[in-house]
Amino acid sequence: MKRGLAILLVLCFLLIGAAAFSSSANELVVYHWWTAGGEKEAIDALFEVFIDDHPGYSIVQNPVAGGGGGILRAQIKTMIMAGNPPDTFQITYGHGMISSFVSVLQPIDDLIKGYNIPEDVYEWGRVDGVMYGVPLNLMQNNCLWYNVDLVEELGIEMPIKSLDEFLGICAKVKTEGYIPLAVGAGMGQQFWLGTLFEAVNSALPGGGADFLNNYYAGNMVLSESEVFIETLKILRTLAVNGFVNDDWSALTWDQASDLMATGKAVFYVMGDWAKGHFTSMNMVPNVDFGYQPFPGTDDVFVGHADCFVLPVGVDRKIAKDWIQFLTTVKAANTFCPIKGAAPFVLDAPLDVYDEITKKILGFFRDDGVVKVLSQFGAPPESYLDVFGTAFSEFFNSPEVNKNTLGNFDYAYEEVFLF
Amino acid sequence: MSKRVQILLFILPGLILVGLFVYGFTAWTFQVSLTNWRDVGSTGDFVGLDNYIRLFSRDRVFKTSLVNTLKLTLVFIGVTIPLGLFLAVLLDLNLKGKQIFRLIFLLPLSFSFVASASMWTWMFSPQIGSINALLRAIGLGSLAQPWITSDKQALFCIAIAYVWQFSGFSTLVYYAGISGVAPEITEAAKIDGASTFQRYIRVIIPMQRPATLTVLMILLMYSLRVFDLVWLMTGGGPGSSTEILSTFMFRTAFNRNRFGYGAAVGIVMFVISILIVIPFFAKLRRSEYE
Repeated sequence: MKRGLAILLVLCFLLIGAAAFSSSANELVVYHWWTAGGEKEAIDALFEVFIDDHPGYSIVQNPVAGGGGGILRAQIKTMIMAGNPPDTFQITYGHGMISSFVSVLQPIDDLIKGYNIPEDVYEWGRVDGVMYGVPLNLMQNNCLWYNVDLVEELGIEMPIKSLDEFLGICAKVKTEGYIPLAVGAGMGQQFWLGTLFEAVNSALPGGGADFLNNYYAGNMVLSESEVFIETLKILRTLAVNGFVNDDWSALTWDQASDLMATGKAVFYVMGDWAKGHFTSMNMVPNVDFGYQPFPGTDDVFVGHADCFVLPVGVDRKIAKDWIQFLTTVKAANTFCPIKGAAPFVLDAPLDVYDEITKKILGFFRDDGVVKVLSQFGAPPESYLDVFGTAFSEFFNSPEVNKNTLGNFDYAYEEVFLF
Repeated sequence: MSKRVQILLFILPGLILVGLFVYGFTAWTFQVSLTNWRDVGSTGDFVGLDNYIRLFSRDRVFKTSLVNTLKLTLVFIGVTIPLGLFLAVLLDLNLKGKQIFRLIFLLPLSFSFVASASMWTWMFSPQIGSINALLRAIGLGSLAQPWITSDKQALFCIAIAYVWQFSGFSTLVYYAGISGVAPEITEAAKIDGASTFQRYIRVIIPMQRPATLTVLMILLMYSLRVFDLVWLMTGGGPGSSTEILSTFMFRTAFNRNRFGYGAAVGIVMFVISILIVIPFFAKLRRSEYE
């Protein structure tokens, strides 16, 4: 009797285990990293609409927070190597990032036929002429956010026109006892210094599109680039003059944005996803917080997108339906307004977007503005980690000398040549 | 079936699993370390010892990680063991409130690493952290430090967190060791006129050699492969000032897609552990026989 019960118990456990490890044909297993305020609400809403459109389907979502997707990507790699990829997962959209995964992704050109987005957006993501990811939301990286109350209190005239003017204002803000510029590049998020680097670089003569496209293609010797050295010098100015918060290396991006939101810092350089975070704190655009392109970068749009991909070996209808669903206006206009991002799809009605998003989108669609793919999409994946560390080391002891430049040369070699 | 065959059959499943998952995968990692594997979808080509040569000849961050790992190990073990012994002696003294203090000393051991990392990160924050807040509150604001945001202090802060988390463990082992000392021995010392202090210094503590070796072994093995608190508190930063071998290995393999190179770091960690730990194993075995 006892033996029979034991066997029954073992069988029950085996059955429960088997059920837990297998997903049914109508379950979509999705991995993404949207867990912060604004992002989480946006992806939840998107899943809800997908389920409404496809009765009988369900979602098994696996949000993996941390490292701007770095932790998620690490996990996905182990799953793929173990031969157990999810149905779909999120990565940042851009030929460099997608190249790092291309050997395990399926082409999706047939699935996204008719996706009404600008041709240069397709070009951002194509690897050898083939599409592997469906871009969902447009993001601008060279944004300057500011606390409206503080700007008014300190009598700062917005928008700020140039980098020199910005540095002068930072000096004034510092003497008034506020943190001029909030920076958060700690807890494994050192790569945010790369976003600051892009913004500052784009404001310099010879910087921006010309420099960044070449830089992210791996065609440079950094220690011989005057523009690169000049960019480091500006970053040094920000660091040695105390224009940034002392604890930049202990804060995540959202903790740093809180410095601006709570009136401790006046400015914050971050992509437009920061807006979703601010609005999730009940802050009102143009009332509590304001936006302008980083001073001196009116003619450059440094941007990227998030996309979903289809791993090799996944041949399930539900996964393909998901990819197709993401090309719809409904998907874009459900997700983007909540996340604080702009839609790519050209026929998306814009009445659901706030004024700041409309401004960003207008900027993106302006033919006079040069578009540059950011560090999250243009270079290979390893850039984020290698240069995150390199920029963090530099920001910590900001000397522009032979030794520093040698370190950057080595980092560049590590990304593009090793 | 002979007894020998029966024994073999009983240990066979364990042998197979350990052989496959420990020794098999160590061998596989070594094989990977001899390749230039950098693509998720393929395994790369054989490059001999190139990865090891680059690690030791050119990689500045690897050298920093190696030095940081050794520094962290030294501070962690150098403080945790004497602190554990001291706390165990305090518990053994049967002072007032012993039960409460036993709970307090052992509590950190039950904390998850995520919880303690969050707590210590917050405490060491230069702006809002409780340590600087306390210093300012008692008029010692000039002693406030940048803590984990400083490349000179961050590793020290992590070491403190590890000491806090593991001092309960060494206290526990020492307390068990001290409790195991036969009362006749301490009574005899008492009759011979030894004071309480002398009894501990001359009799009880010298008898804690096996406990010390046990704590040392376990902490040493742990400290050479620590990852959690470092990753959670600083992520290896600022810069690479708190990068240790395990975080560097993870970063190299999974954030930079240099799987072969990351495997080489793993093998270096393995060799260092073996070189440091084997003499202690030998010592432990000898002391068991004695």
